[in-house]
Amino acid sequence: MGKDECKTMLDALNKVTACYRHLVIALGSTSDSQNLREELKKTRKKAQELAVANRTKLTTLLKDKSISKDDRAEYERLWVLFTSSMELLEVDMKRSLEIGQDFPLKVPTRHLIQTGMTGSTTTVAARAMSVQNMKYEADASIDTVDLKELETEIAQVDQMMEEMEMKVQVAPWAVEAKQEAGAELKSTVSVGNSSVGVISICEEEPKETVEGETGLMKVQ
Amino acid sequence: MTINTLSQDGVQRQQMPCLTKMERMIISMQDPDMGIKLRNQRLLITVIPHAMTGIDIVEWLIKKFSISDEEALHIGQLFVKYGYIYPLKEPRNLILKADDSPYRFQTPYYWMSTRWPASELDYAIYLAKKNIRKQGELIEYEKECYNALHKRINHTWDFVVMQAREQLRASKQRRKADRIVLECQEQAYWLVTRPPPGTLDNIDYGPERRTMNTRVQLNAEFYKKEIEHNRISLARNRVKSSICLESYVKYCEQYQPHDPIMQGCLPSNPWITDDIMFWNMNSEAVAVPTKLRVECWSFSFMELLNDPMGRKEFLTYLEKEFSAENLCFWQACEDVRHGETSKIPEKVDEVYKQFLSPGASRWVNIDSKTMEKTLEGLKHPHRFVLDDAQMHIYFLMKKDSYPRYLKSELYKNLLARAIVPQETKKSVFPFMRRQRHSSPSPALATQTGEDDGKAKNSNSVKSNSGTASRL
Repeated sequence: MGKDECKTMLDALNKVTACYRHLVIALGSTSDSQNLREELKKTRKKAQELAVANRTKLTTLLKDKSISKDDRAEYERLWVLFTSSMELLEVDMKRSLEIGQDFPLKVPTRHLIQTGMTGSTTTVAARAMSVQNMKYEADASIDTVDLKELETEIAQVDQMMEEMEMKVQVAPWAVEAKQEAGAELKSTVSVGNSSVGVISICEEEPKETVEGETGLMKVQ
Repeated sequence: MTINTLSQDGVQRQQMPCLTKMERMIISMQDPDMGIKLRNQRLLITVIPHAMTGIDIVEWLIKKFSISDEEALHIGQLFVKYGYIYPLKEPRNLILKADDSPYRFQTPYYWMSTRWPASELDYAIYLAKKNIRKQGELIEYEKECYNALHKRINHTWDFVVMQAREQLRASKQRRKADRIVLECQEQAYWLVTRPPPGTLDNIDYGPERRTMNTRVQLNAEFYKKEIEHNRISLARNRVKSSICLESYVKYCEQYQPHDPIMQGCLPSNPWITDDIMFWNMNSEAVAVPTKLRVECWSFSFMELLNDPMGRKEFLTYLEKEFSAENLCFWQACEDVRHGETSKIPEKVDEVYKQFLSPGASRWVNIDSKTMEKTLEGLKHPHRFVLDDAQMHIYFLMKKDSYPRYLKSELYKNLLARAIVPQETKKSVFPFMRRQRHSSPSPALATQTGEDDGKAKNSNSVKSNSGTASRL
């Protein structure tokens, strides 16, 4: 059925958006590396594929005049979710361009910000790409070469969003959320049909707050 | 779709220059040789690198820029205030302490940026994440924000929940130390961008512009316009700050004795003592002006003209010199400029008849070029048609008559006669609290005799308290 398919695709896009944001946050920090740049590129491409797929599916569904009113309301809700996801993606892409330009990897005088994050992001990227392990195959100049591609992709996304605005008439104020406030506290069945399964979100170490006493070790 | 300010602007916002400067400094702090020495932060079992103490930061700033203690502390405070560095011990207290309190650098994504203001959607996702992590135990103001956002962006609330869950799942993929850092970073970012009620907002993004043209075509036409715009901007006249600051200092020095707040005003500040003698003594029609007032006329020509008494005195002087028509002409032009639009044609006509026409009774001496231009313009009179002529006469008076007036006997006598008001004696009990009360509404024309009988000042000249004759 169209609805379930839509929801699965939307979930996938949502997942990739979240992972992409996570990766962009690491840009410019000590977690940054050549691998991160490649991960960003791959995740981005995946996001775009999903975006196009989602858009095509949803536009066909919305253009169909013969659907029931309830169905239509549901599709409009999914449409709003889709556009919100695209918004986040667009901003993150623009920011990754900016930060990527400000922090080229190979320039010795340009230092990465020492933020305390030192681990790699490969597991996040693997999650985005839905693979077990990431393979890295890019060459050394990815941090500059990729930026050019990124610029074109941003322009494409911009254009796509403009088209979406023009072609699909969905009034956001007419859409009502299914979840009420505080819904995230309940057990986490995702909005769509996610294949990731039910994951418990509660904190593993609730007592360990960083606001507690911290001691600094001496300088090494 | 949420209304996104970023996509609505055809042109992106610029990053504020002070923020760019701060960013440069932060980056220079990262230098492995010349930058700040970092330590490790120990949290029970986890060790997180890249922490520094407040005193480290201050000392580094002092060394790098050769500045004083105070200035270094101030700059350090700015870093913390704008979120480039965040405190580890008391995250809500965004100040820099010059002791061994720990701090850490913020990741570039979360740097303060006027180009990328935080959106409501982002904040909602953050609150939802926090809600999940803390099992519903949000702080009071966060709960309010949460509920407000739930109402405002309700149409996309499902997305908020979805995204919050996914972001948490994504961060679960990192190792423990990084997760802690991520949480701290995000918390610090939102403390700066959405400060709790009662704290000052750090940055003003300016009004949000919603332009009709949402997107511009990046074609040759666009770039040509950009180039032209930048070229004109480059050619703009700029004054070096060393020069304009000099004149600024001179101005301040000259006007300081006249400033009622800096110097106090004699006899007393009406807003404090409810005694309106100050206004009475400086009114238009007073017989003897105050010394400060007359001195002020010597500062600039505009000061003289702006004071009605000054203008009258100047007119008297000009009459003696047989050049009074200049000032009258100037006044008439002002009247045209600032008066009713409907009366402009008739006023301009009057001016022409009185001052500009060949046989006019009070003919003003304007150079031929300006006269020609003005007469041409008179055919289609508008508010500013007399501007050129007025400017000419203004400069004539300013260069010629005004300096002579300041040297004249008339002015000097007035200055000698001018009085310095006596300061009203303070009340006998200096610690007695003056009770303030609000004045009756200025709409009340009558003088409400509201003499509260409080001991304000023992000066016998005391007007009705509470009535401001001139606000």
